[in-house]
Amino acid sequence: MTALYQQSLEGLTRLRGIAGAMVVSADDGLVVAESLMEGIPGDAVAALAASLMRRMGTAVSAAGFTPPSFMHLQAARGALLVVPAGPDILLIAIGDRHINLGLARIEMLQAVEQLG
Amino acid sequence: MRALEPWVEQPLMTFLTESEARLTLLMTSAGQVVAQHGFTRAVDIMSAAALGAAILSSTEEMARVLGVRPFRALSHQGESHGIFLSAFETPRGRWIGLVVYGQDTSLGLVRLFFDRMVDELMAGVPAEGGPKQVLAQNFESELHSSLRALFGR
Amino acid sequence: MSEDIRVMTAQLAADPTSLVFLPLAEALRQRKRLDAARKVVLAGLSRYPELADAHNLYGRILGDHGDFEQAFDEWGIALRLDPDHAGAHKGIGFLYFVAGKLDQALEHLQAAQATFPDDEGVAAAMARVREALELDGSDAAEPSPTGPARVEEEAEDITEQVFAGLEGAENGLLLVDQHGQRLGGGLLSPAGQDVADRVAAHLAGVSREATRAARLLEMGDWETVTVESGDGNLHLASPTADTVLLVVRQSAIPLGRLAALSERAANAARAWLESLT
Repeated sequence: MTALYQQSLEGLTRLRGIAGAMVVSADDGLVVAESLMEGIPGDAVAALAASLMRRMGTAVSAAGFTPPSFMHLQAARGALLVVPAGPDILLIAIGDRHINLGLARIEMLQAVEQLG
Repeated sequence: MRALEPWVEQPLMTFLTESEARLTLLMTSAGQVVAQHGFTRAVDIMSAAALGAAILSSTEEMARVLGVRPFRALSHQGESHGIFLSAFETPRGRWIGLVVYGQDTSLGLVRLFFDRMVDELMAGVPAEGGPKQVLAQNFESELHSSLRALFGR
Repeated sequence: MSEDIRVMTAQLAADPTSLVFLPLAEALRQRKRLDAARKVVLAGLSRYPELADAHNLYGRILGDHGDFEQAFDEWGIALRLDPDHAGAHKGIGFLYFVAGKLDQALEHLQAAQATFPDDEGVAAAMARVREALELDGSDAAEPSPTGPARVEEEAEDITEQVFAGLEGAENGLLLVDQHGQRLGGGLLSPAGQDVADRVAAHLAGVSREATRAARLLEMGDWETVTVESGDGNLHLASPTADTVLLVVRQSAIPLGRLAALSERAANAARAWLESLT
């Protein structure tokens, strides 16, 4: 399973603008597998992205909607992408501002299908 | 939140705000409680401090027996609460942090902000006061004296 | 005498300095043994006069007795000792509500919610106070004081004015302040229920989390959060430093178009907010 994770993550990090990708435990916000460029704080990305996804999931649930299938945080100098990859697992990617969002989203959803 | 020494307050306050921990206990390995948040009963602190120190000692001994490096931190995940226990070196000697957190946060966040708190404590520790020798017989008296200070007993 | 009270009483007798007086007094209070609870907590307070939890508990006991004036004082002491004490904020918020001082009630409940954002009791109390504020015609429910008391219909008009002329002004656009209060717009669930206030309460937390993540990951200020769900797509933006804008549309609307809609709504929100100052 770890090899499969690693393969998917490395595929994602080959995309332009993606600086790292990781599989993260949704409840704990801990890294399960990662492929990161040097200098990317994996533990912090995992904990913060999982927490944001959890809070957003609560808001979405309060709206009576089904749980999120994709989340994108756009910031001035970077972006975070999160896709649930099964029960209690998240696929997370971090990148720069100029990430090709459409392509990254498709690649992440495909990766999740492979992981599932 | 109560701390015996003022320089501990700000890093601990930041940790509590960011991690949303329910209970936190910072103590020396000699049993002196340096700061606490969330405990209302001295007896609970006494038990938690003693048990936390004992658990860390046990796992360190286990690491020694297995010939591996000591575990940096331990965590237990319960149904509604988690426990995080970690030891770290300071110029004042070895300290232990015990954190209880609920479902409104995560182990990842607790660990992340605990590490940051440790960095801040290390940066803010006053020069004076060397590490104290850890003696088992001191543990209980240190614990009781710090509880008196924290709870005004 | 129930077992837990018996055990705690024995603990306190063995060690009169023990903080077990707190759970013991609370257990007695819950069993309506108010005089006994009062004695226990007063004995505890004589030893720990600076313990905010003890003053808060004494305030609750006094409140149960109907002695609101003294309860107010005790909660006031608790807040002086611990300005973030959620229990004391809740207590004072309740007393203000009972006294009809709805603005002050809301202020204290907001302070309690800031400490415990998921406390359903506080959220319910806030909803009740807001409802009373709207019925009362007071303008304190919205941070947009524009004049004298209004009737409920007028208040609704104001919230709709924010996005007047925009598609989804009443369902699918939501402007929220930093405390999770709805400033304007509305939102219905897929089942047709009004979920605007519930969602608004959670959006403040999402915004704080987005701010924290962007800051700690050194990504600068957050600009948008987009979410896809089976029931629709959501787009969160921050028109001003103190507000959050949520745009919700069905899944068939592409995310790019959602962003354009959000930009238009953000401009409308900014103009509306500026008109209030």
